[in-house]
Amino acid sequence: MSARVESLPVAQQKPETPLRRLASEFFASRVAAAAFFSFCFIVFLALFAPWLAPQNPYDLASVTVMDARLAPGERGSAGFVMWLGADGAGRDMWSAILYGLRISLGVGVASGIIALAVGTAIGLAAAYRGGWIDALIMRIVDLQLSFPAILVALILVAILGRGADKVMIALILVQWAYYARTVRGSALVERRKEYIEAAQCLALPGSRIVFRHLLPNCLAPMIVVGTLQTAHAISLEATLSFLGVGLPLTEPSLGLLIANGFEYMLSGKYWISFYPGLALLATIMSINLVGDRLRDVLNPRLER
Amino acid sequence: MVFVIRRVLQSVIVVLVMSLVVFVGVHLVGDPVHILINDDMTKEEVERFVRKLGLDRPMHEQYLHFLANAARGDLGNSFVHNEPALKLIVERMPATLELAFAAFLLAIVVGIPLGMYAGLKPESPGSRAIMAGSILGFSLPTFWVGLMLIMVFAVMLGWLPSTGRGEFGTWDGLRHLALPALNLALFKMALVTRLARAGTREAALQDYVKFARAKGLSPSRVVLVHVLKNILVPVVTVLGLELGGLIAFSVVTETVFAWPGMGKLLIDSIQRLDRPVIVAYLVITVLMFVVINLVVDLLYAALDPRVRLREMKA
Repeated sequence: MSARVESLPVAQQKPETPLRRLASEFFASRVAAAAFFSFCFIVFLALFAPWLAPQNPYDLASVTVMDARLAPGERGSAGFVMWLGADGAGRDMWSAILYGLRISLGVGVASGIIALAVGTAIGLAAAYRGGWIDALIMRIVDLQLSFPAILVALILVAILGRGADKVMIALILVQWAYYARTVRGSALVERRKEYIEAAQCLALPGSRIVFRHLLPNCLAPMIVVGTLQTAHAISLEATLSFLGVGLPLTEPSLGLLIANGFEYMLSGKYWISFYPGLALLATIMSINLVGDRLRDVLNPRLER
Repeated sequence: MVFVIRRVLQSVIVVLVMSLVVFVGVHLVGDPVHILINDDMTKEEVERFVRKLGLDRPMHEQYLHFLANAARGDLGNSFVHNEPALKLIVERMPATLELAFAAFLLAIVVGIPLGMYAGLKPESPGSRAIMAGSILGFSLPTFWVGLMLIMVFAVMLGWLPSTGRGEFGTWDGLRHLALPALNLALFKMALVTRLARAGTREAALQDYVKFARAKGLSPSRVVLVHVLKNILVPVVTVLGLELGGLIAFSVVTETVFAWPGMGKLLIDSIQRLDRPVIVAYLVITVLMFVVINLVVDLLYAALDPRVRLREMKA
């Protein structure tokens, strides 16, 4: 193995950076590579929905009730073929799914990032300060994590009320504890190491030690938790919206699309619920597979 | 004994903290007066109403009042049904518990054999399929699977009823239970499969299993007695903690299958802003959770003395 590497021309050997090593290990698994590219494709669909969709499903001028509940593959009155059928209001399902993906991904990713920032700050504070601050924060985290996420989310939605901002707040409050616990765990291990001691001996300010020395070394587990939590947040938002306590009707995420198709299910018009669900499943599954692979690659204990 | 008292005290504190959170949340964030009055009430009527509910008193007094009433089992009347909120919840509890326990059993009966098979033959195609299936089980949104189950088994094949609940213990009751229980069990099935697989792989390398094999015991006896017994403890402990999760997640399944349980009542109440019922549901569920966690913890400590000792030191 090593003999072959040495025989390569020097110019072809790119310097090995952590990112490059991570990428090559990650893509060694074909399943993970497929999941990663399918996720990129989904993000692409969501970002460019207005240009990719044959119809703006929420523009009343381009939707007619004439097309209501058209079966998949039939030609709508606007002239294009509705490959995934139409819903009860005559909206093209493919277009509705593209727009729904935008909202589902947007809410999931945005709440994930804010929760990541909040949870990280709190977790770092707990680990670096220690003492009663640490004890108090970890008690709150333990208390919250002893209840399932769906229950905490329902409590919050019941208290806060309906609306996109309220759902975001609920998702952030549900997720921050996972990040705080993860960050605190790895920060506690890292802060006993020599490089932190060295930084402290240099009398660097606390903020510099925390953000420039401690935080970068806690990143690996955070990336894993962040990926899996984002999938979880998307699923949770869809569930809340399906139950009718999540996003309002003006923000039709995938969960709402599925809920809209529910009433047509019993009369055999499966496509109104089936295809948005498939899109949701593909999104969650590809993120989960990427997260699983990242966990294997980033876990130092499994290093071969 | 000290350990038991400590844990019970901790649980009481958790209940008090949660009641405070729920109370402050429900009564401070949303103005209850605003929801309770209708627009054509006069100012005097509103004031009398506020005084009657004690909403003019300071917050801590209101909270103590709420606690005292809650201790007597009075959590207020439902605005919609005009009945005690607690009664409404308790009436629907058997349906939810029936569903949760059926799902619990299903998860164990299906998950453990699948997981043990995958653990004993990790490289076989069957095991790979099982593990891929378990990832699918984690990723599938529960409510969508419920819809798909209705579509296939109720609409297309017409084998099973899609909504409602039958008489408990009858054939009809079982037929109604089948789809919701399967739906609710799916996620836990994936979890049990993974736990059982990990446990089996670990146990298969242990000396007592090697010894049992060396003694010349039949492979089935080694697997069914020596391996199974030793993976049951961790699997059952985790599942015990997950029982609460089943009750919480039954909110989703009950809504899909119109199962008349507590969860469906909660969703209906949130949509109608029926706050006393919401508070009653939360109080009952938190209590259930704390009791489940307490029982599992105590059982675990009884089974594993190391846990007890560690707690004593802390």
